[in-house]
Amino acid sequence: MKSGTFPGGLSLPVSAAGVSKPFESVPPSQTVIIPLKQHIGEPCAVSVKKGAEVKMGDLLGESESAAVHATVSGKVTEIIKKFPGMSGGYVPAIGIESDGKNESGGFLEGSDPMSLIQKGGVVDSDVEAISLHDKLTLAKEKSVKALVINSVDVEPQMISRASILAENAKEVASGIDIISQILGITTVYIGVSENAPNAISAISGACSSAISGACSSAHVVGLKAKHPQSMQELLVKALLGKEVPTGGSPEDIGVTVISVETAFFTAQAVNDKKPMLERFITVAGNGIGSPKNVLVRIGTPIKDVLEHCGVAPGHGGKVIIGGPLMGTAIHSADIPVTKETTGIYLQKEGDIAEFPSGVCIKCGLCVEVCPMRLMPLLISGFSESGSYAMAEANDILSCNECGCCAYVCPVLIPMVQWIKLGKSEIRAQRSSE
Amino acid sequence: MKTPELVVSAVPHVHGGNSIPKMMMNTLIALIPAVVIGIYFFGMDAIRVVVIAMASAVAWEAILQKIMGRPIAISNLSGMVSGLILAMLLPPTAPWWMICTGTFVMILLGKEIYGGLGNNPFNGVLIAWVVLQMSYPDHMMYWLAPPGDFMTEATPLEVLKYEGVGSIAEHFTILGLFIGNTTGFIGEGSALMLLIGGAYLLIRKVVSWRIPVSFLGGIVLFSGIFWLTNSEEYASPLFHLLAGGSIMAAFFLATDMPSSPVTPAGMLIYGFLCGVLAVVIRLWGAWYDGAYYAVFIISILTPLLDKIKSKVYGR
Ligand code: SF4
Ligand code: SF4
Repeated sequence: MKSGTFPGGLSLPVSAAGVSKPFESVPPSQTVIIPLKQHIGEPCAVSVKKGAEVKMGDLLGESESAAVHATVSGKVTEIIKKFPGMSGGYVPAIGIESDGKNESGGFLEGSDPMSLIQKGGVVDSDVEAISLHDKLTLAKEKSVKALVINSVDVEPQMISRASILAENAKEVASGIDIISQILGITTVYIGVSENAPNAISAISGACSSAISGACSSAHVVGLKAKHPQSMQELLVKALLGKEVPTGGSPEDIGVTVISVETAFFTAQAVNDKKPMLERFITVAGNGIGSPKNVLVRIGTPIKDVLEHCGVAPGHGGKVIIGGPLMGTAIHSADIPVTKETTGIYLQKEGDIAEFPSGVCIKCGLCVEVCPMRLMPLLISGFSESGSYAMAEANDILSCNECGCCAYVCPVLIPMVQWIKLGKSEIRAQRSSE
Repeated sequence: MKTPELVVSAVPHVHGGNSIPKMMMNTLIALIPAVVIGIYFFGMDAIRVVVIAMASAVAWEAILQKIMGRPIAISNLSGMVSGLILAMLLPPTAPWWMICTGTFVMILLGKEIYGGLGNNPFNGVLIAWVVLQMSYPDHMMYWLAPPGDFMTEATPLEVLKYEGVGSIAEHFTILGLFIGNTTGFIGEGSALMLLIGGAYLLIRKVVSWRIPVSFLGGIVLFSGIFWLTNSEEYASPLFHLLAGGSIMAAFFLATDMPSSPVTPAGMLIYGFLCGVLAVVIRLWGAWYDGAYYAVFIISILTPLLDKIKSKVYGR
């Protein structure tokens, strides 16, 4: 087996705690809050009334992309118009008070895989959360030729994707077959971090024992454990040796990238007719010791997840949705887990990096690590001085905000912050034109 | 349960821990082997030069930062490092006032006048060194031979220049050059010790391999061409590699961050040009310390070389 990678990036110390771990189920919370928008696009239309009794799996909101379901049985206590969304702005949400019975509602109806995926509310979550239905529709339009299954964890401290493979290889394999059948393709790449041998052998086993289907001929490829290998464009580079054109998407070069957990939930929706009610999450960080894997119902407040893991966010600490390099720090642990939650990272006070910014000494380290081969010192500097045209000419828009540059900078320039500012200014300018 | 107050700040939430003091400390550590062998060969004289250079560099830095109303930044160790490197490029006989003049020029013209570390277009150590070469040539060439059977008090490059390639073997062995048992500046003699230090810098990722490797490659390639055509007249690439501070320049001078390129291709070309020019100066120039002059001159090209960017992903 060859091992793939991309130039640049960070070889971070990977948790020594072992790379795959079983998932503990977090018990249902007393109250859950379920946002009606957990993916890019329009929010779902509310399909319940305040006071209604719901069971697990009952429909809460409908949309053409991905439906949203109740994850506990109980009573709808409130329909919130403006709930803070994970990707900024406000979204509508539904609050449910659990009756503690955990009764299941009915199963999904129908047999068409595409419609089961949509009704089952399957969402593919990486840097962006996109409904699988929309993603597959686009892939079909662009008649993609290859499917890439992203089993590389979003950041090196996270272990949930490798663990899903190790624990649920069969379901994943079945999901891959379903998706490739929908797309009508047989070329499948499964990219796994090479420091997860359990995951590699589990999926290789599941694939080779499959008699037919795309999975039986899938290429399982071990990838160097490097940040940010989980990014779609770098996966495509590592697995197929191709680059996604600037401003485009993998679909433009005939590839679609789908996360391993999405394959799992696809199998669940299509084979078992069960909607996506949960999310596989790693809780990691120096606030918790060795990382833990949990299976959490959508809508569970983060603080309940932390409580289950036996940790409390200390005063002055940080709770990050996602990983330490790219995740978003949240202001309150009351925020619920959604289909967009890729992981939870805890930081104690005192471990939080600060970027007071010094004078660039032109050490070139940021250039060396940038996986997009940009000049981080330049684009960040141009943004800082408001020279957005220059920043754009130097491809600031190609930056994927992986954080590698700021991580290595000896004078602690908050480069990602400057770059984000520059990008949003340029985009604002473009849309006003 | 009331949720405790959480901190919200921008990405990334972690940092690798790299810092200027760390890089400088690693550079100091990397220089230790070469300094120690310099002291072994030149004794108290070498210690004197090193101590005066380091102390005066730090003192000038503090004084100049005070005068210019900048925060005193001597704790980043960069003054100490450049003081030490300058000391290594001085003869063991250097008088104290000349050392202090050198460090003054180095800190003023090499750093503070441009607004501090990071903004200097030239390598401060080399500015000072060139000024001293021009101003006090006699003092800069007043050599002590290390203890042992030495038939010359000239440096290997002086022998090459004035006596020709045939005389080199009379005075120096390749092994002697490798270990550092030669006449010359305090810290440039021992290729072995400098290579050990250079390897340490690479392992610690303080400098990229690109500049040193292409530098030495440039020396070998260019001197090799002449040597292959006429080995009677031209010295071997190995001699050029080991003598005259090639390794010193490749690892510790050309890698000066502010004055060298940041792009991968820029670094390779920069190093290669330095190596070629070093040999050109040694063979045909009026001076013979080609490696140092080469770095000094090629750094003019840095802004140009930084324009050679990598192809952006997806373009
Ligand atoms: S410039 Fe952007 S893509 Fe490059 S290292 Fe920095 S954050 Fe990552
Ligand atoms: S890492 Fe920081 S100091 Fe080094 S070149 Fe980049 S911005 Fe400048």
